[in-house]
Amino acid sequence: MGATGSQLSKESLSEYQVNVHLLLENAHRRFTELQAKADRNIQSHRVPMNTILTLPELKSNPFRKRICRVFSTSEANDGSLSFDDFLDLLSAFSDSATLEIKSHYAFRIFDFDDDGTLDNRDLEKLVNCLTGETDETKLTDDEMKQRKSGILKQHSDIDKDGTVNLSEFQHVISRSPDFVR
Amino acid sequence: PRKCPLRITNTSTGARAMLRRMKKAVLSRPESSGLKRFISYRLFTHSRFSFKNKMKSKHIQSCLLSIAGRCNKCRSPLRSAEDPGSTKGPNMCGNSKATSESFFTFSHCGAKPCKRLEVGQLIYTCGVQSYFFFLRFLVVLNFLSFLLLGGFVLIPNIVFRSVGTDVGNITGDVLSLLFPHTGDKECMEYNPNPQGLVVFYEFFIHLLSGTGFMEYSYMFYGYYNNTVVQDDNFSYNIPLAYLFTAVFYFAFCLLCIIARSVPLRNLTTFTAESVSNYSMTVFTGWDYGCLGSKATKLKQRNIYYQLQVDLEEERLKKHAASLTLCSKVILYSLRVLMFLVAAGLIGAAIFAIKIATEFSQVEGILGLFYEYLPSIVITSGNFLVPLLCDQIALIEKYPPGATVIMALLRFAVFFLFLSQYSKSASLKLGSPDLRGSVNHMLGCWETRVGQEMYKLTLFDLLVNIALLVLVEFPRRMVVDNWSCKLSKWVGRQEFVVPSNVLGLVYGQTVVWTGALFCPLLPLINTVKFVILFYCKKITLFYNCRPAIRTFRSTTSAFFFLAVLLFGWILALVVMIYSLAVIHPSQACGPFRNLPRMWQTVPNSFYNLSKVTQDFLFFIGSQAFSIPLFALSCVVMCYITALASIYGKSVALLRAQLKLVCYIYVK
Repeated sequence: MGATGSQLSKESLSEYQVNVHLLLENAHRRFTELQAKADRNIQSHRVPMNTILTLPELKSNPFRKRICRVFSTSEANDGSLSFDDFLDLLSAFSDSATLEIKSHYAFRIFDFDDDGTLDNRDLEKLVNCLTGETDETKLTDDEMKQRKSGILKQHSDIDKDGTVNLSEFQHVISRSPDFVR
Repeated sequence: PRKCPLRITNTSTGARAMLRRMKKAVLSRPESSGLKRFISYRLFTHSRFSFKNKMKSKHIQSCLLSIAGRCNKCRSPLRSAEDPGSTKGPNMCGNSKATSESFFTFSHCGAKPCKRLEVGQLIYTCGVQSYFFFLRFLVVLNFLSFLLLGGFVLIPNIVFRSVGTDVGNITGDVLSLLFPHTGDKECMEYNPNPQGLVVFYEFFIHLLSGTGFMEYSYMFYGYYNNTVVQDDNFSYNIPLAYLFTAVFYFAFCLLCIIARSVPLRNLTTFTAESVSNYSMTVFTGWDYGCLGSKATKLKQRNIYYQLQVDLEEERLKKHAASLTLCSKVILYSLRVLMFLVAAGLIGAAIFAIKIATEFSQVEGILGLFYEYLPSIVITSGNFLVPLLCDQIALIEKYPPGATVIMALLRFAVFFLFLSQYSKSASLKLGSPDLRGSVNHMLGCWETRVGQEMYKLTLFDLLVNIALLVLVEFPRRMVVDNWSCKLSKWVGRQEFVVPSNVLGLVYGQTVVWTGALFCPLLPLINTVKFVILFYCKKITLFYNCRPAIRTFRSTTSAFFFLAVLLFGWILALVVMIYSLAVIHPSQACGPFRNLPRMWQTVPNSFYNLSKVTQDFLFFIGSQAFSIPLFALSCVVMCYITALASIYGKSVALLRAQLKLVCYIYVK
């Protein structure tokens, strides 16, 4: 599989190489900015969650803690990220990530108690995150929440077990108007 | 020493495939259309290649893909994405470099950073964005139709005028022979250019009201010749060209509207089919591109409102189902009453315009003021009546979705009848009696109508600019800098999409009605809409607070076009009336010697060769039209049957899909 079948010219190939290298370096620089000076040379150093959350992109996101937890591979489950995790995070949110990747991670983000299904409490938390927990005016009252989860299940709970699992979730997502292209 | 986990040093299959993909991504960033762009900025964008076990490497690939695409092509859009935060508040991303920018995705990023509407969609809702897309569509439409008019009417006229051909220009003598009852010499005279000294401010008055030097120019109907050039190998009939261009202009606009509404319609039906609106809002509602706490709060409020609307509709449905007969009667009678009140308001406004139009014909000292009186009344009516109708809508208690549509419809009826009325009023005043007694004051009534439309267009633009400078900007300054209760209560202004859209439809309808009498009006309107685009953008970004209420943009975008079509139909009625019924003025214009404008078509028809005439007669005859009618009926039946069959199979497939999903889940 050498240069014979290649559809790219030499120049563009090297151009891409430069680009890829450059971009990775950018990502890496961005990551090292979060690290303390002393930790930068440590091979698999983890940046703690609180530092990650200072990123402007995550700062005001209501799901920021969940995002860190989901992408973290640390055993202590403290939400700290290594560089590999950081790259995972970047790619899952990139616009060329596949639907499966995105829905997989979205499901995990929304699954607040990590039990593999979205149950009533998860949905409640999710709706609260979406509408803003802190503001009292933004809190939907209990009755509304009940109705909401009821309706939710009506539409997306195919096997009628009271929860939404990953395949059901992906099924619902795939019917979203965002995919009409 | 830094260590990157992945470097491409060999050209293995995987790497090559990846590079190919990358090339694709870099070279052909999806230059998606506007609609797609605003739909797809959420987390869950589409997928192209499938997800397998090699998750990690794919991750890195796709990450690189996205970054590569961004770095090569556009760095600016992301910078604009920070803007919403940067208008106020300290916590926006300050030192974002290339990588940080491509952190979370906005998949619309690749397309047209110059438009900067991306900013709008972060803070403001999709509805606002669809307003701007609609505006852009109108700009393009106007420009294309100007090319049409310019190519077939304007350029031939300029050419013939400069060459100096007056072949076939029938003079007044022939005319008086043709129509002895209009033989008055005076009605043949048409020389609007002022004589003697001119006061310096006259220039501006002329510019604003389309009189003086503007009146006798290519701007208006009156200047155009009725030249018919006939050579052995070249013939051009200007009156015919004028008429057919106007007709084709209308047809072209209709085509454009339909072409644009078809994809929207498809989308609407699709969205309506998938019932799980709530799930969609909850699962895909969050925009991960929100930067800064302000944008986040707004997004949260939007989602909250959206959920509210959905729940409200649900509750109202239940409520309506449980209503007793008595309360139903009360509700409906209330609605009828309010409908009558609204109709009365609209009627009163139209009456006011009628009075103003009559008054404006009186010669006064403040000539310009009187000239502009109808336009002023119309514009203030446009401003006041929708406000009152809004209050009425509160009483009527329609479900929230229907309220928006009702408001749009009501405004539409009002706007369009307004413009039509003013139009027909000026027609009535300008045109001579059909009996032939000519109003001497108005040498060329078509030009008068054209001037009226020109004034309406110009005045609309001036009012918009004045609103921006004199009302919206001071309001924002006051609200921002003073913190008393009153200013807090007033608050910044909200960008109300329906009324803004109706303003556009109104402007476009005026242009359609005026295009016959003022062929350059589409060009003027293009310029006007471009200016308006930037004015509205400025107001939106600097003066407005984002609307709390949103409405579904997909359906509303379709609805905008429906309203536009309504305006088109009204303009068409006026055009047919002026083509076929009214007597064109004798002193000017391409139809100066004809009893009706349409007369030019039969005239030139009889100049055609015998074969062509016979052929056209055959097409018009019953022998041709009845079979055609029958055939089209058959085709229509076939298509209807096909559609119903497709509908059934879609329902069947949907049921099967659900079943398959169920099995899969189990």
